[in-house]
Amino acid sequence: MEKMISVKNLEKNYKSKKVIKGISFNVQKGEILCFLGPNGAGKSTTINILTGALGYESGEIFYKEIKIEKGDRKFKQQLGIVPQEISLYEDITAEQNLRFFASLYGLKGKELNERTDEALEIAGLTEKAKDRVNTFSGGMKRRLNIACAVAHHPEILIMDEPTVGIDPQSRNYILSSVKKMREKGTTIIYTTHYMEEVEEISTRIIIMDKGEIIASGTKEKLKEEIVNDKRFVIEVDDLDKVNLEEFYNVEGVKNAKIEGGKLNITTLTGVENLDKLIAILVNSSVKINNLNCETASLETVFLNLTGKKLRD
Amino acid sequence: MYRFSQIFKRDFLNLIFNPMWVFNGTLFPFLLVLVLGFLSSGSYEISVTAYDYYGVSMMIYVIFNSATISSNSFMEEKIKQGNMRIIYSPVPKSFMYTSKILASFVFSSICHLLVIIVLHLSLNVNFGGTNVLFVILVLLLFEFLASILGVMFCCIFKSENTANQILSIVINISAVLGGLFFQLGGFGKNVENISYISPVKWIVTDIFKVIYDKDFSYYLPTVIIIIVLSIAALFLCGKFYRTEDYI
Repeated sequence: MEKMISVKNLEKNYKSKKVIKGISFNVQKGEILCFLGPNGAGKSTTINILTGALGYESGEIFYKEIKIEKGDRKFKQQLGIVPQEISLYEDITAEQNLRFFASLYGLKGKELNERTDEALEIAGLTEKAKDRVNTFSGGMKRRLNIACAVAHHPEILIMDEPTVGIDPQSRNYILSSVKKMREKGTTIIYTTHYMEEVEEISTRIIIMDKGEIIASGTKEKLKEEIVNDKRFVIEVDDLDKVNLEEFYNVEGVKNAKIEGGKLNITTLTGVENLDKLIAILVNSSVKINNLNCETASLETVFLNLTGKKLRD
Repeated sequence: MYRFSQIFKRDFLNLIFNPMWVFNGTLFPFLLVLVLGFLSSGSYEISVTAYDYYGVSMMIYVIFNSATISSNSFMEEKIKQGNMRIIYSPVPKSFMYTSKILASFVFSSICHLLVIIVLHLSLNVNFGGTNVLFVILVLLLFEFLASILGVMFCCIFKSENTANQILSIVINISAVLGGLFFQLGGFGKNVENISYISPVKWIVTDIFKVIYDKDFSYYLPTVIIIIVLSIAALFLCGKFYRTEDYI
């Protein structure tokens, strides 16, 4: 797969504090690469370095194997940026915003008109083209914020927490737009601290914490490699008949406890032992009402890696 | 050039559609001259009226104050959000501040030229008669310097608020020392000498010499000093402007 961006040993300091600590990663053509991490992890700083808005102390950035310097205009021409803040002129219309920002990428005349209309359609704002942005809801502004980044058909779209503070409908609209853009061949770099968004759209994930990359890979790979446990949550009719000690004799069981009126058994993922656990319950004359198997989520991956929840 | 013209056009329109700046650039200077001229009318002669004096001095004052317009168009919170995308776009870094300087200069110049015409027609303010173009040229050059200073202060202090607070102090001290509100001649020779540290004093002296004495001895040095200061300030904008401070 073609490498769009390569970052090698990138370091960034704010005064004496090192905020990016020598990270390296690649961005492949056509992927949705999600940067996941808590506030202050260094996601936005990394993104802003890629966009050329921030400088860096050391390291190298390559675009299609060619080294680029800060503010390289040929590289910038290929980027579409969706900043974390809503970056629009609020006193003018959606269409005027789009036309202006697209013109900065050299679009003019008929092409500018067509791309403006297309971007309005992507944002679902065709009907609101002539309305001033300060009359828009938060979700509409977010959608326009994205439209302004895609009107010039960038090869790489960089989205920095594009769904912060919006309603579920707008979030769904944005996520489905991201997937559509990927289908059209756009490479997408997406930062967020919403785990469910990463689950839904990512083709690969980089998890950052304290300026370092602490894990990377597909979500399936991360779950497999980092979380070795699965949990059975069993609802039974009479918990008094259950002897928890018996479960510890079954291979792979790490923990058995009663929590919230349910039996919780944590066991190693590689060991097939459900039949034995059920047998213990049946032998104890306990009726099983419900059984759920909770496999690893990205939240548990993150918890395992950092020892804290993502939104802590 | 196409991309720069687009940014310039946007910056200019942002100013024109801001009613406060339009008021500040047109009605405010006219009212200032009208009120000060009326209140001081008894203290001036018939040949040089209070309106003649304040017409010129207050124009210099409001022109200096237009530094706050350029600092606003560069870093005002509401505009700054949209401006951020210019940083991300493939245009030279210098477009960001040069377009703001140029837009503020053009906007303020149009407003202030209109005020000069209205002051001349309504209050018969003397702007030099046949030498009016020389007076206007100095005023325009000063307008350009003021526009650069507004952006330069933002680049140095990284904040519109701080820049405007400091600019306000600088402008008002220069205006008082330059004798824009009242002449300092009556305060003694020492005060008179101190007043010459204010560039405003050189400009106001030069303009009055051109208007009333047809004396151009100060003209070229004044023009050259303003141009040199403008180039130096523009250089400092480039030196201190960092995209990091903007995002």
